[in-house]
Parts: sequence; C-alpha cells; structure tokens
Amino acid sequence: MRDRRTRGLRRRDRVPRRKRRALHRIPGIVVIWLVAILWCFPLWYMLITSFKGEADVLPPSLWIAHPTLGNYAIVLRHEIVRYILDSAVISVSSVFACLAFGVPVTYALVFGRLRHSDNLFFWFLSTTLLPPVAVIVPVFLLFRLSGLLDTLGGMILIYTGVNIPIVIWMTRSFLLDVPQEVLESSDMDGSSRLRSFFNIILPLARQGIISTGLLVFIFVWNEFFFSINLTYVHAATVPVYMASFMTQEGLFWAKLCAISTLVVLPPMVLGWLAQRSLVKGLTIGAVKG
Amino acid sequence: MLLSLPAIVIVAVVTQAPILATLGMSLVKWIVVRPDLGVTFIGLDNYREIFTSWDFYQVVLNTALITVVSLVVCTVLGILFSLMLNRDFPGVNVVRTLIISPFFVMDAVAGIIWRTIILNSSFGWNGYFASLLGTKPFDFFGVHSLLTIVILIAWQWTPFFVLIILAGLQNIPQEVMDSARVDGTGWLRELVSIRIPVIMNHIEVAVLLGLIFVLKVFGIIFVTTRGGPGYSSANLPYYVYKTAFLGWDVGHAAAVAVVTVVITLLAIAALFRWFRRRIGETA
Repeated sequence: MRDRRTRGLRRRDRVPRRKRRALHRIPGIVVIWLVAILWCFPLWYMLITSFKGEADVLPPSLWIAHPTLGNYAIVLRHEIVRYILDSAVISVSSVFACLAFGVPVTYALVFGRLRHSDNLFFWFLSTTLLPPVAVIVPVFLLFRLSGLLDTLGGMILIYTGVNIPIVIWMTRSFLLDVPQEVLESSDMDGSSRLRSFFNIILPLARQGIISTGLLVFIFVWNEFFFSINLTYVHAATVPVYMASFMTQEGLFWAKLCAISTLVVLPPMVLGWLAQRSLVKGLTIGAVKG
Repeated sequence: MLLSLPAIVIVAVVTQAPILATLGMSLVKWIVVRPDLGVTFIGLDNYREIFTSWDFYQVVLNTALITVVSLVVCTVLGILFSLMLNRDFPGVNVVRTLIISPFFVMDAVAGIIWRTIILNSSFGWNGYFASLLGTKPFDFFGVHSLLTIVILIAWQWTPFFVLIILAGLQNIPQEVMDSARVDGTGWLRELVSIRIPVIMNHIEVAVLLGLIFVLKVFGIIFVTTRGGPGYSSANLPYYVYKTAFLGWDVGHAAAVAVVTVVITLLAIAALFRWFRRRIGETA
C-alpha cells in the first residue's frame, strides 16, 4: 500500500490528473456512441427505408436517392388506420380500467388495515409470473361461448385482468413514498379515507401513477399473444395486422417500414418519458431508481 | 377494504379460474373441430402422450437454451453498457435513450424488420454483405433459427437490463468511489470488488424479471421462424399455441400448458433460491 506521502502528492496534483483522465475517456465515449447507434441500426434503417420509393429499396443502402413521403400517404389511406384506432381504443380503455381498479387496491394495501395485505400483494404479483398460454384455451372457449371473441370489449376485459397486477406492482412503491403522517393528519381533520384518497394520495403519487399508466399502455399496445388468438377482423390490433402484412402484401418493404415506424413511435415516445419511474416501479422499490 | 374487491374478481376471472379449467381440460380428449367425437375423460393420457413425444423434449431444450443464453448475454451486455453510460459526457442522455429504445418496440415489428430488411438472405443486409464478401448468406432461418431467436431477444431485452443496472450504478455513493480512487484501486479491481457487489441486487432483479418475461416469449417466434424448421426454434408457449390452434386438440394443449406452468414456476423458484434473497423482503 502507498504511504501517506504519496497519497498527499496524488491529492495535490489532482487537477492535471483529471485532465489526463478526460483525454483517456474519449475512446470510451466514442465506443458507447457507436454501440448506441449500431444497436438501433434496425430502427434507423426502418426509418430510412420508409422514405424510399419501392423501386429504391433494393439493394440495401443507407442513401435515400429520391426521398418521398408517398409511403406514409398511401399507408394512411390504407386499412391500417382502422387497426390503429382499434388498438388505441383498447389500449386507452384498458389503461383507465386498470388504474381505476388497481390503484384503490394499492391504497388499501399500503394505508388500509388489511390483516393479510402482504399475502394479497403477493397473490397479485404471482399472477404475473404465469405464462399466458396457461389460460388461453379456456379463455378462448369462454369467449367463443359468450360472444366476446373478436370484440373490443373482450380484449379490454382480458387486458384489464392481466395488467391490474402490474398496476398494483408498480404503484406500491410510489404510494409507500407518501408519508403516513400526511394521511393521519387529514384523518384528524375529519376527512374520510375516500376523500383523502382523491385529495391527498392521488396528487402526491401522480407522477408514479401516470408512469404506470404509460407502461400499461405500452404493454397493451404491443401485446401479441392474446390478440392473435382472440381476434380475427373486428377487434384485431396493430400487432396482428403487422404479422399478417407480409403474407398479404408481398414485398412492399418501403410501405412496411412506413407502417412500422408509425406504430412503433407512440410506445417509444411514452417509454422515453417514463423511463426513470419504470425502474423504480418495476423493481418494487427493492432497488432504488 | 371493499375497494379491492372488483380488482380481485377481475384478476381471478381472467387469470385464476382459467388455470383451473386448463387443469381440468388436460384430463380429457376434446378436439374442438370434431364435435361428433365429443369430450371423453382419459385421465393422464395427454400427459403420457407429451412425455413420450420427441418434439416435446426438443421444445423444452429450446426453451432452456433460449432463456439461459439470452439472459447471460443480456446480463453481460447490460453491465458493460451501463458502466459506459454511468459517466458524464456530451450526449449521455441521447445515447441512453437510443440504447433503451428497442425495448419499447412491439414483438411483431421487431420480428418483421429483422426478418426482412436486415436478415433476409437475398434482399436484406445479410444477403448484401454475403455478396460483398463473395460468400453464401448466413442461414438465419434454417439451421441457425434458434440463434436468430436468441439474437432478437437479446436485442430487445438488453435495454431493459441497462435501465435497471444503470440505476444501480448511479446509486453508488460518490464517497465510495472517491475513496477507492484515492486508495489507487485499479479499474478492474474497482469493478469486481466494489461496483459489481454493490449493484448485485439490481442485477438479480433484472435477471429475475428477465426470466419471467423471456419464458413467455411468443410474438418474436411467431413472426420470424414460426418455430421452424420443424420444432427447431419453438419454445413452450409456441408449442402450446401450435397444438391448440392448429391441431384444435385442446386437451393435449391444456396438458402442455400445465407442464409449461410447472416448468416456469420451477425455474423462477430455482433462481429465487439461488439468489437466496427475496425481492419482497427488501421492499
């Protein structure tokens, strides 16, 4: 180990050392920039191709010879708009239903005097461990029997059931952040638990609840398994349309890329906005975000 | 509180009741498209059929390979990228945002984009580089279809690992790092004996959540390889789908689903025990 003198010395020449460090860091910075750009290459190239004419797609090239918005114009007049609308209706409705049913549970779990609140929390958590294939066959038969198959209502129901546990999982750590005293003092003011939920808890945990909603939106918008098995035409979502695009349309890659860009953007932008809170919520506060 | 009741009912109806139904259905012979055959109770015959079928073992092996390899890749790359991102440099926020973006791309689009413009052997970049080098294009959808699935999962899930592990690194108190620096600890020592142990909790959480999600992967396989050729790139969820909706043999499919659930829970429990700590206890 170094003796005290050398340590003192190192401390004194800290400034030049830092400069040297800065120079050393440049290659690392270049590498991470390259990694980031390459990691997204499929997405860049998708974006680039979406501005090419169909004739310019092959051979692959990063150069757009004749930039055009034509693909977007065609695609937006296409039936995809209906799928986007259906997806939007299903996603937004599911988000609100999940929050409306889920957040009160978290409130009860965190601030209520439930005797087995931990067991209830873990029961909700455990349902998210199960693969959707475990339920698909009975759900399919039940949907067929009750006429819910291929309906918006059916899809909203299934996504609400699947994502309520996610809401409880995520919002728990945000509600735990609200100091218990705040609620107690409002109790003393004589306001009911229901009133304090709306007047105190919701505003204080707003950020976390909104991020949770964004995450549920992303999950539902992107969900594939239930959608492909439980819908055909009337309630088919965007992922189902995408999966069938290739078999139906043949090699229209520029249009394929234009559609892909359109449907990928909403969840991506929401994801960027929510990234910080996602960490905190998803890890149940087990690790600090 | 009464407030929780509706949520409990909905979740139970959508997730719990069907599992019991699945359990029951796994004991019958029932081919939905042949109502003339009716529904007959056959006991454990569906399970016997599964455990004597070669396809099933291949699918289980595939599932294990996909899960283990992609989680290892995600963990290693997740740690590496997070270390590189845990600094102040021009554009750090842009770089982080870029790296996490693939996580938000839907399976259907990720699969199609990779399958067409990137990996297609005649018209994608795969074919382009092959002709440039004068070699045959890499066979992503034949012999190497399982590898393709692993690559796509790693591409989508490494960002998730970065999100969580980076948060861990940014949590290390500056004093800890400073004192290590003053002590003159080398970069590698610093990494192995200080940083990794401190963020171990984060790594475990990422791997555990990753396991839960990767075991459910379906869309990627559906749009790229369709589990093929044969069953060479099918995992358990895809196998259930194929027996249920292509063969309409719901009894058999239900039995595979039950086996899938058991394997999933065993895998999660094993990892849980391996980490020995439970996330719940620290929460």
